[in-house]
Amino acid sequence: MVPLKYNLRSLRARKVGSLMTVLGVGMVVWASIFAFGLSAGLDKTLEIAAHPLDVLVLRKGATSEAVSGVSDAVARDVLALPGIATDGEGQPLASRELVVFGYLPRRGQTQPVNVTVRGVEPVARQLREGMRIVAGRDFRPGLREAVVSRAMSARFQGLGLDEEFAVQEGQFRVVGLFEAGGGAVESEVWTDRNVLAQTVNRTGSMSSLQLRAASAAAQEQLVNRVKADEQIDLNAVTEAQYYADQAAQSGLLKIVGGMIAFFLTIGAMFAVANTMYGAIASRAREIGTLRALGFGRGSILMAFLLESLVLCGLGAALGCLGALALQAATGGLRTGTMNPGTFTELAFSFDFGPRVLLKGALLAMAMGLLGGLMPALRAVRMKVVDALREA
Amino acid sequence: MIKYLPLIVRNVFRNKIRSLFTGASIAVSLFLVVTLYALLTHQDELAEASKVHNRVAVMHKAGLSGQLPIGHLDRVRSMPAVQVAAPMSWFGGNYREETVQFAQFGTDPQTIFKVYEELEIPPDQLAAWQKDRTGCIVGSVIARNKGWKIGDRIPLQGNIYPVDLELTVDGIYDGPSTVDREWLLFHFDYMDQALQEMRYPTAGNAGIVMLRTTTAEQVPQVMRAIEDAFASSDAPVKSLTEKQFAQSFTEMFGNVRGFIRYTSLAVVSALLCVAANTMAMSVRERTREIALLKAIGFSKPSVLTMFLCESVLIGLVGGVVGALGGKLLFSLVDLSTVAPGLGLFYIPWGTALWGLALASLIGLLSGLVPAWRAAQISVIDGLRKVV
Amino acid sequence: MPQDDVVVELASVSKGFWRDKVEIPVLTDTTLHIPRGDFVAIMGPSGSGKSTLLNLCAGLDRPTTGRVIVNGQDLGELSEARLAKWRSENLGFIFQMYNLMPVLTAQENVELPLLLTPLSRAERRRQAETSLRIVGLSDRADHYPRQLSGGQEQRVAIARALANDPVLLLADEPTGNLDAASAQEVLDLLDGLNQQFGVTIIMVTHDPKAARRAKRLLHLEKGTFVQADIEALEAAR
Repeated sequence: MVPLKYNLRSLRARKVGSLMTVLGVGMVVWASIFAFGLSAGLDKTLEIAAHPLDVLVLRKGATSEAVSGVSDAVARDVLALPGIATDGEGQPLASRELVVFGYLPRRGQTQPVNVTVRGVEPVARQLREGMRIVAGRDFRPGLREAVVSRAMSARFQGLGLDEEFAVQEGQFRVVGLFEAGGGAVESEVWTDRNVLAQTVNRTGSMSSLQLRAASAAAQEQLVNRVKADEQIDLNAVTEAQYYADQAAQSGLLKIVGGMIAFFLTIGAMFAVANTMYGAIASRAREIGTLRALGFGRGSILMAFLLESLVLCGLGAALGCLGALALQAATGGLRTGTMNPGTFTELAFSFDFGPRVLLKGALLAMAMGLLGGLMPALRAVRMKVVDALREA
Repeated sequence: MIKYLPLIVRNVFRNKIRSLFTGASIAVSLFLVVTLYALLTHQDELAEASKVHNRVAVMHKAGLSGQLPIGHLDRVRSMPAVQVAAPMSWFGGNYREETVQFAQFGTDPQTIFKVYEELEIPPDQLAAWQKDRTGCIVGSVIARNKGWKIGDRIPLQGNIYPVDLELTVDGIYDGPSTVDREWLLFHFDYMDQALQEMRYPTAGNAGIVMLRTTTAEQVPQVMRAIEDAFASSDAPVKSLTEKQFAQSFTEMFGNVRGFIRYTSLAVVSALLCVAANTMAMSVRERTREIALLKAIGFSKPSVLTMFLCESVLIGLVGGVVGALGGKLLFSLVDLSTVAPGLGLFYIPWGTALWGLALASLIGLLSGLVPAWRAAQISVIDGLRKVV
Repeated sequence: MPQDDVVVELASVSKGFWRDKVEIPVLTDTTLHIPRGDFVAIMGPSGSGKSTLLNLCAGLDRPTTGRVIVNGQDLGELSEARLAKWRSENLGFIFQMYNLMPVLTAQENVELPLLLTPLSRAERRRQAETSLRIVGLSDRADHYPRQLSGGQEQRVAIARALANDPVLLLADEPTGNLDAASAQEVLDLLDGLNQQFGVTIIMVTHDPKAARRAKRLLHLEKGTFVQADIEALEAAR
């Protein structure tokens, strides 16, 4: 085999060219990681929200809670169904919830956007894993008080601790901030259900019911019973399915992300190929000598592919480091966009986890292999006698 | 310099593969940048194009989630300088098993095509729809994508409102490329009557009222007058020009736009590295030739200029393929099947030319250092490099 | 001549080159024998013609007709891959342009062909050191080619050519790039290798002074090799 030190030192000898390629690949990987991280971050947020045993009950045909309506009377019938899990004190893990839009501007902007305001009862917290108050206190029932996710309070005017915001005609005060380990609830404002219902003239009804089934079998039964019962006449869907459907709506964003990564890779491939062509052109005689000495075509091919891979590997490392550094410097790259399923704000953070980084690295390797292949093939296909004669 | 153009051009193509790859790399990256930029400004573009129609959108002060009483419509119509007005109530229904929604508006058949005068509809189809309470008119693009023809039945399951609609296609509208041809329009009364019968609390919601003023100058006055008229009513309103209305949607996408900008920046920088590297390689190869040129009598500045021309030329060619090619691509390919709701996506001339300029700039910047070094090559050393 | 004493045999070999639809014959139905321990200089018109013999002996090129047999092996019977291996085991190359890897030290350059053998790391190193000693450059083992003079580079190249103990040494214009003094050193070396170690050498050259050092001179004339007399050649000029 062609000795590794020959390849590595050759790369070092052409410092400037190699460095430029590494930088170029690095930036491509960096940008691609962003594209992948955006997609992954969005998905993760919607994924975390779903508990495997939870069921969401909505009005028939409603695709989101905000447009759904369930009357108090029918809700009572649903709560009487068998199969609902109970907590330690025998209380059913069933939450009646009212979802309404607040219309608030982000900090630093004037144009308001829709924000999810959820009216809940105490049991609702048990249905959200890991939700806890991290600043201030929880709201008291009967008062126009609210708790807000930390992410939202940082992004929106009027949602900071002790600040006030409006929901239609009512003013609410933020008394606490919560965190819930990612998930859709991190894009929400919570308050007392009855108070909210009065504020928006929706007393006597709610948006949805969230139930925790006692088992997977019970979950299936619950869903079927709700849908089949003529008195109830509502739609039931597992929480996982509900969020999956919403995720399916963010098609455009994913397409943009994918397109970015795809074209970047192609562009970079040409860059790598260029560098390798240059390297090979200037080393024609070396290649001819190696062949004359007896090194076979295969080992020379491998050698040049290896050089190309090393360059791209370094670039990939650089790109990954860059992305992680940016994340560390900005404290997590939190941002938000419109949830296409509900037309409300969805707060999420870029996901630069190992899977995303790996994707970026693999992309770089692909660049290296594909970009270096043609030049490497050309190197071995040269006739030895011609190569030896080259200047 | 012009007389050296043949020499410059031939030098660009002397190493076909390298020039091809560099050009390709610039073309691909530029295509990406130009497309992204066009995406960012797409909505603004469309809005700018429709400015001539002097349209104003009126909605509840609390935004799209507020209820705009249909009663407001008559009052608006009676106001001075309001030429014509129509409600556009977003139905948001489910069509069969599809998860991705398309625009469905309950509106007034008598006036909607006067508000959107640039839409083209055969008069007989319009008349048929106006008489058919359960009829609908669909846009040519969505009709094509879903395979709808006149006479087809379109069932819409209620989502926001608990009422299902059974609609029949009475006509298909078309229009210029700047207009949205993916709407489904039906009679507002059809939906509203059903809601009134079941005494549904949000019946009578007009959503937004879209109106046209008689002249462009009147727009700001009309907007103010309308807001004042309803300021102390149960349902105060706010009015936006069509452009502001469009922008409020892109606003919803928030920071994602910033991300797109940063990505473009990364792409351009990566490109600079690539192109500069190529030029440097090219200069290194031609040391002897350059020394010869200087020995013959070419001055340093002319050598510098020649090389810069070369790198700019490569950038330009890449730009033509990437930017103009991209414009051509999107004028031939319709993304609406893949990304519904985007509207007809195209790359405006301004963006394409800006991309071309960017490519040339990249060519220029990447050639600076190598060209300077070429000019500095010592004749003696250069000629001595023996084979 | 007993067969196993012949290192190189060309049997009715023809070879031509195509230039713009015209075939230029280089070798026409040639027969050649080079016995073991021979030191042959080949002269003739400049261009790819002279080097053709070397390329044929190395298996880098194939004859249009006829057979090339080196050390008993008919090269035509070997595939591309086998030829590569065969080269590494049987031949040593010396080029006009030295062709050392600029990124490897002198010793590493000499070791290069040894990488193709099953020798261990220590054995390779020992063999390379021996080779360098023979050419008198042990003290330059860790230097890079750019730190050596032209003559020294060529001597390293010779050491590389010797490293795998080849049956045949092929030298293509070995003194072409050297000044008189360095050329002398290199020729002394080749001479010594041939006399003391019995290395068979085929040297292509256009330098009469170099040709003089060989045991016999062949002239490429009208597509075939003709034994020549260097003095006669010079007088004819």
